[in-house]
Amino acid sequence: MSDSFLEIKDLKKSYGTGEARQDVLRGMNFSVKKGEFCVLLGPSGSGKSTLLNIIGAIDTPDSGYVSIDGDKLEDMNESQLTMYRRRHLGYVFQMYNLIPNLNVKENIEVGAYLSDSPLDVEEVITTLGLQEHKYKYPNQLSGGQQQRVSIGRAVVKNPDILMCDEPTGALDYKTSKEILALIEDCNRKYGSTVIMVTHNEAIKYMADHVIKLRDGIVRSSETNSSRLPASELEW
Amino acid sequence: MRNPLIRRIPREIVSDWHKYLVIIVFMVVMIGVISGMYVGHDSMLASIDAGRTELNLEDGCFELSSRASKELLSGICSGEMADVRQYYIDKGMKEADKKIKESLKDIPEFMKAGDEYRKSVEDAYRDARAEVIKAVDEEWDKIAARYELDDDGFFPVAVSVYEHFYRDETEDSNSDGIADGTVRIYKSDSQIDRAAFIQGRAPEGIGEIAIDRKHADNAGITVGDTITVGSRKLQVVGLLSYVNYLTLHQNNTDMMFDSFGFDVGMVTPESFDKFSSRVHYSYSWKYQEAPSDKIEKADHSECFLKALISQTLVNDNELKDYIPEYLRQASNFAPSDIEGDSVGTTILCYILIAVIAFIFAVTISNTIDREASVIGTLRASGYSRTELVVHYMSMPALVTIIGAAIGNALGYTAFKDVAVNLYYNSYSLPPCSVVWSRAALIKTTVIPLVLMFLINLIVITRKLQLSPLRFLRHDLGRSKKTKARRLPAWSFLRRFRLRVLLQNLPNYAILIFGVIFIELMLCFAFGLPDSLTNYGDRAPDMIFADYQYMLMGSRDKNNELIQTSEPSAESFSAKTLMYPKSGESMFEGRGSGGDEKINVYGIRKNSAYISLEGEQKDGDVYVSSAFSSKFALAVGDEISLHEEYENRTYSFTVAGIVDYDGGMAVFMDKDAFNRVFGMEQDEFSGFFSRHEITDIDEQYIATVITTEDIAKVTVQLMHSLGGFLSVFKYALVVLSMALIYLLAKIIIEKNENPISMSKILGFRNGEIASLYMLPTGIVVTVCALIGFVAGFYIMKVVFKAFILSMDGYFPFYMKPSSMVLAVVYLLIGYALVSVIDYRRIRKIPMDVALKNVD
Repeated sequence: MSDSFLEIKDLKKSYGTGEARQDVLRGMNFSVKKGEFCVLLGPSGSGKSTLLNIIGAIDTPDSGYVSIDGDKLEDMNESQLTMYRRRHLGYVFQMYNLIPNLNVKENIEVGAYLSDSPLDVEEVITTLGLQEHKYKYPNQLSGGQQQRVSIGRAVVKNPDILMCDEPTGALDYKTSKEILALIEDCNRKYGSTVIMVTHNEAIKYMADHVIKLRDGIVRSSETNSSRLPASELEW
Repeated sequence: MRNPLIRRIPREIVSDWHKYLVIIVFMVVMIGVISGMYVGHDSMLASIDAGRTELNLEDGCFELSSRASKELLSGICSGEMADVRQYYIDKGMKEADKKIKESLKDIPEFMKAGDEYRKSVEDAYRDARAEVIKAVDEEWDKIAARYELDDDGFFPVAVSVYEHFYRDETEDSNSDGIADGTVRIYKSDSQIDRAAFIQGRAPEGIGEIAIDRKHADNAGITVGDTITVGSRKLQVVGLLSYVNYLTLHQNNTDMMFDSFGFDVGMVTPESFDKFSSRVHYSYSWKYQEAPSDKIEKADHSECFLKALISQTLVNDNELKDYIPEYLRQASNFAPSDIEGDSVGTTILCYILIAVIAFIFAVTISNTIDREASVIGTLRASGYSRTELVVHYMSMPALVTIIGAAIGNALGYTAFKDVAVNLYYNSYSLPPCSVVWSRAALIKTTVIPLVLMFLINLIVITRKLQLSPLRFLRHDLGRSKKTKARRLPAWSFLRRFRLRVLLQNLPNYAILIFGVIFIELMLCFAFGLPDSLTNYGDRAPDMIFADYQYMLMGSRDKNNELIQTSEPSAESFSAKTLMYPKSGESMFEGRGSGGDEKINVYGIRKNSAYISLEGEQKDGDVYVSSAFSSKFALAVGDEISLHEEYENRTYSFTVAGIVDYDGGMAVFMDKDAFNRVFGMEQDEFSGFFSRHEITDIDEQYIATVITTEDIAKVTVQLMHSLGGFLSVFKYALVVLSMALIYLLAKIIIEKNENPISMSKILGFRNGEIASLYMLPTGIVVTVCALIGFVAGFYIMKVVFKAFILSMDGYFPFYMKPSSMVLAVVYLLIGYALVSVIDYRRIRKIPMDVALKNVD
């Protein structure tokens, strides 16, 4: 695919040895275009988080490769991978992993510090609706608010790819929709490619590209011509 | 943009202030006390050194029987040896001439005319002169051999000579008519061996005196008091420290000083002349060109002595006493004793540095475990390892710097004064001005900082080698998770407790290490004073003769061997040699120069005092058990001993070990001794005796060592070190408490989640405490016992290694009661910490478990 931004080719990954060996990824192939909102959908154990970790350069495949904008991750050394993560990726985890003794604004500044072309921190805070909470510490926030901060920390880097690992996994329905709407906003407003791992079938309707995984392989890869806004999702 | 992570540092300190406060207190106490000891030690030595120049310390002194003539002084100053032979020949000639003249008086005048008479007279003169020369030559040969006056190595040593007369008067400190001691008074206008004033001023009037500060303290005399000196009442106007009397040794041969019964004082020249006691015509000299080292000092002194003897002789005076400064007890005892005092400080310093290293390693490792998910996120977001290493190192660096800064500030102020006052309690020292101590800075600040830096660097770098994913998964251990062990069918709570204990085994491993460090500190705190006391108690029993007389030489004035009618007396030969420590010394500078002084004894066959069993070959020696223990010498080992002031070395083979812990000594057959050291077969150095010897003239006795002297030495040792040891003891108990607090805190911190969950499940605080604190309590108790045994044996090794740095030897010893206390103190410390822990458990909120589930 000539216009693909992210390309996954014959990606394999297993854990353990002998009888305990478990093949998590068994030869995955797909590609994602720049600016696309891509959802990796699958049940637990399908290999979606492992795949995300390999794309995010915090895990390595046994074989196959990941290529971002033509650069193969397997050709990069440790420090180049760090620079890759620093320049191109924003990470949102299911658990927010905020730094407890930095306030909201400072947690977002941590992301901004890493970027050569960060977004305006205040603007991101406003976009995320955290203006009145910006001097609060993480333990003074609800789960949804903490996830917003986590998104802010990832988005403020102005990353090429926003990696979201079950970002609504620990949140209630209403808050989940608010978070999804924010990620959708960031995708539209800042043009970041979004790769979101989820097991929530409903989320696929807001994506441009839905890749379904099962038992370590891609079962289907579909494009969605009519995306639904996050606010209209139901589950 | 500034790294926003920097803002975490002050907040981390504020949020976990007790932990950091304890670490800072630990650092401050450690650095403060040790730095204070070093600064006090170095400042005192520097002040003594400065005083040597400022107060014009002599290079030596001698006493004559009468005031020296101008000719004599000029001869002495030249450093040239006088022609004694010619002096005696001239003297003999004069006498011979006189006798011949007198004998010629009675011859009638008529017989004097004629050649026969003239020839007879000429013959008489010639014969008499020949006789004089023959007699002088014979005598000269003897004298020259005795005083080595014909030595080819002689070179003239030019000196400046200063009058430094004194009188020994009785002192009655409370004017009750009973003399309390002796005061040696000097004139206030002396240009040599001047005094520094600690309080008051120099005497200006005829009725004024200034006396030694230490003696005044002991005798309860203050400025303004009136004391009776001789028969005169004088007002004390100043308290001083003479540069040549840092310890109040009345005679250089005194084994121990006496600052109660002996005093030195200063009066005006007019007042000096009003006393009636005998004037001691003491002169001090300074070399025109100062010798550069010990050997040169000895060579200079030897040559000067020859010049002095010859000049005194030819000027019809008599040399009564001669002491080169480097052998002067009163000016060298205190500095070399102070120098050795830093051994205890050094041992403590290294123990505490190890403890600090341990605390940093544990603290940083704990911090990284706790922040695993944050580290994983930061790494996943693109933070480099270096950035995180710098970030996680900045906190302990800041704490160490704060601790070091406050500790050093206290070390140079409050704690320095403690150290200096301890020295003032023992010696007559000059005022102390603070100097910058390189040792203090290196040992208390640079080493802990470097250590902190390295340990954190190693721990953090190693931990950050893990992938971001493993941090995110909290998978930081090396081993895979083990299966849950099956537990016996105990009650639920007992099984729960056992499970807590098993799950916390890695944390308890840290606790065990920590407890060993604490016990090591407590063993030091209790063991060092115990060892000293034990040595002091045993010392009198360790002496191998109740009286040991060292003589000035084995012959008297008439060249006859000195003898005694005391039946238990047994002659021996002895000399002092040096054993090289070959780089094992921690110290440089004054004193023995790092080498160990060894007393070498030549013992008679079948001696009643020292038993040397078995046949001895040439070069065989027996070593004392103290010497053998200190340097790990065994039978068959070769040892080399060298002269302190000459380049001469002797090699021996250790043939056996004599059970004698009282000193560093080597024993050999007396005949072999005399052969090896070039003494005549009938010569000797002194007598061992069971009873006092009364029939040897005191002028021939150099020193007498009795059991009382040995006891005095150890009492003095305790007096000098006792204060230090108390400071160390209290500091170490505080530090032990701080360490157990930090260790117990780690256990509770690591169990915050399950404790919080237990609360959610409905367990009461008391139950939780019994679940989480009881296992720790049991572990601490068991660890205390194991830790004590480990600490005790480590301390023995550490002690042995460090005793190498000081002169002499005494083994590490702990009283049984101290052993119990070392364990009990730890348990008391833990009991106090348990109260804090219980409060900490009560404060753990329930949402910890709810919010932190990953």
